[in-house]
Amino acid sequence: MLETLALMGHGFVNAMSLSNLLFMAGGTAIGIIIGCLPGLSAAMGVALLLPMTFTMAPETGLIVLGAIYCGAIFGGSISAILIHTPGTPASAATAIEGYQLTLQGKAGKALAVACFSSFCGGLLSCISLYFFAPLLAQLAMKFGSPEYFWLSIFGLTIIAGVASKSLLKGLISGALGLLLSTIGMDPMEGAQRFMFGQASLYEGINTTCALIGLFSMSQVLILAEKKIKQRAKAAKFSDKITLSGKEIKRITPTILRSWVIGNLIGILPGAGASIACFLGYNTSRQFSHHKEEFGKGSIEGVAGSEAANNAVTGGSLIPMLTLGIPGESVTAVLMGGLIIQGLQPGPELFTRYAPMTYTFFAGFVLVQFFMLGIGLLGCRGFAQISRLSDAILIPSVAVLCVVGSFAIHKNFFDVVIMMIFGVLGYLVRKFDLNPAAIVLALILGPIGENGLRRSLRLSGGSPAILFSTPLCWVLIALCVFGVCSPIFMNRMEKKAVEDAGGDIPNETGDDPVRTSD
Amino acid sequence: MKKTDIGVVGFMYAVCAFFFLMSRDLKKGARIYPLCIIAILFLLTTGYVVEMLFAAKKNGVTSGIPEIFEGFQPKQFFIVLGMLIAYLAGMYFVGFYLATIVLMAASLLYLRVPKWQILISTIVIIGLVYGAFTMFLGVKLPVGLLFK
Repeated sequence: MLETLALMGHGFVNAMSLSNLLFMAGGTAIGIIIGCLPGLSAAMGVALLLPMTFTMAPETGLIVLGAIYCGAIFGGSISAILIHTPGTPASAATAIEGYQLTLQGKAGKALAVACFSSFCGGLLSCISLYFFAPLLAQLAMKFGSPEYFWLSIFGLTIIAGVASKSLLKGLISGALGLLLSTIGMDPMEGAQRFMFGQASLYEGINTTCALIGLFSMSQVLILAEKKIKQRAKAAKFSDKITLSGKEIKRITPTILRSWVIGNLIGILPGAGASIACFLGYNTSRQFSHHKEEFGKGSIEGVAGSEAANNAVTGGSLIPMLTLGIPGESVTAVLMGGLIIQGLQPGPELFTRYAPMTYTFFAGFVLVQFFMLGIGLLGCRGFAQISRLSDAILIPSVAVLCVVGSFAIHKNFFDVVIMMIFGVLGYLVRKFDLNPAAIVLALILGPIGENGLRRSLRLSGGSPAILFSTPLCWVLIALCVFGVCSPIFMNRMEKKAVEDAGGDIPNETGDDPVRTSD
Repeated sequence: MKKTDIGVVGFMYAVCAFFFLMSRDLKKGARIYPLCIIAILFLLTTGYVVEMLFAAKKNGVTSGIPEIFEGFQPKQFFIVLGMLIAYLAGMYFVGFYLATIVLMAASLLYLRVPKWQILISTIVIIGLVYGAFTMFLGVKLPVGLLFK
């Protein structure tokens, strides 16, 4: 206990170094810009800026990526409130009440509620991160090779199943990713596999290049296929971006409820901020003493949605950091960032690398304060940026994709790989396959193969070892749950959206995984 | 059932066949795991074919193309894609910065962005890449075969 407290304190001291604070501020601002641009998504932004964190200390790199993540989830609310176009699917419910408030000349109020609620949701989600992550990591310490094999299968089934329109298509995407993960040197015998004579493929397909291609370059192609339209002008507002004590008191219960909802949704692999925002919104309406305001501009509606989507951020990091199971596309990309730094998700992050992990946690807490400050001060500026034309985004994002993938190994071949995955990602998204499952399979494939082959070597080739411990059976049961969960998740999401009613705008940040959101 | 899904299924079978043929040259130990994955992909794809057939029987067959390519601007898409491929080739021959300036100018002009915005966007992107990658990360970006 004392040791944990010491680690927490040490984490805050490390996180508050001048360079870390500057990176937090920069990352949060970039995240908000990405989030408020309806053409871009949080996963895309994190993937695009991943290469910039290579040379940073691992904790600083993770803090920057975390800041972009939190900033982007909040940033979506700015365009949702001011131009009725959610920057990310996570802010779709915010647009319902937020834009109504804007029409009444209360845009400043709506932005202040969004900012304050996002801050509270994000900050409170850090509590569960501190509390549950070490507990889950202790459980993961009991894992051997067979358990790691089943864990990788579970990770794949959950994301392939939940994040796809068709379960089979999701699983096919995962299997395709697994097949692509076998390219390169065989991990046990050192034999070359499917390398097509390319020495650059010796270590397999570069996950970062694949991430940039599948999430960012594919988005460039998606933007390029649509007619370029000028976005609506952001509403000008003269009211102050502040909240009175009475208003804070009114939205506090809503924020607390949404925190619980968002956190649970975040911890649950497969569900994400886009589901949480609708559940948070619906719950705020159910418990509100001012139900008549809903649909006409309710600050509780904005608070419910925004607190819930930001509460997802901390929760979703828990299964990713402790078990290596990202709950959604953004955390899948964040996991890529962790692996690039030479770190493997799992118990080691809470033992050998505990100082680094707790510095990241502390940074994640501080990021919420930056989000509040930058959000409140910069709302008017971000509102103007949110109108940036797709025509400018297309070549700009493409250039950043190219330079980012080149920077990893200073190798032109990586740029070609990124481009191939960009085209693949475009086709995958057009035909309802799942890019997040492909990325996850690229990451989990080698872990699963190592687990399987080590287990078989230990047992002299008998597959019975894969069913030999109670933990294996728990994980097998979770795999079955992973396959069945889309039925429940789809019902939950449909019900939440139906209950929300109102005018939900179609154009969003076009999240690569849940485009239908 | 959408006709476009036939393409998806065909692609997956082609991937299975390609990797299966390639795996014949591998050593036994290195071959087992990819073969298992190929088998899984094959079975899942076949499962999807069965699902498609049931869907066709129940709801009929639709093209799928109008839904997938709703609002698709073929000329704009292929010109932009062509520019991006030319950009990669240009970067290889004339270097990153020159190729980037040409890409930014050409694509923004084609997409009818006002000239002052083209100038500002190009300066911002070049400045961002120079500051972040060349100065901060110390990445030596390609100078191009012609200038080596």
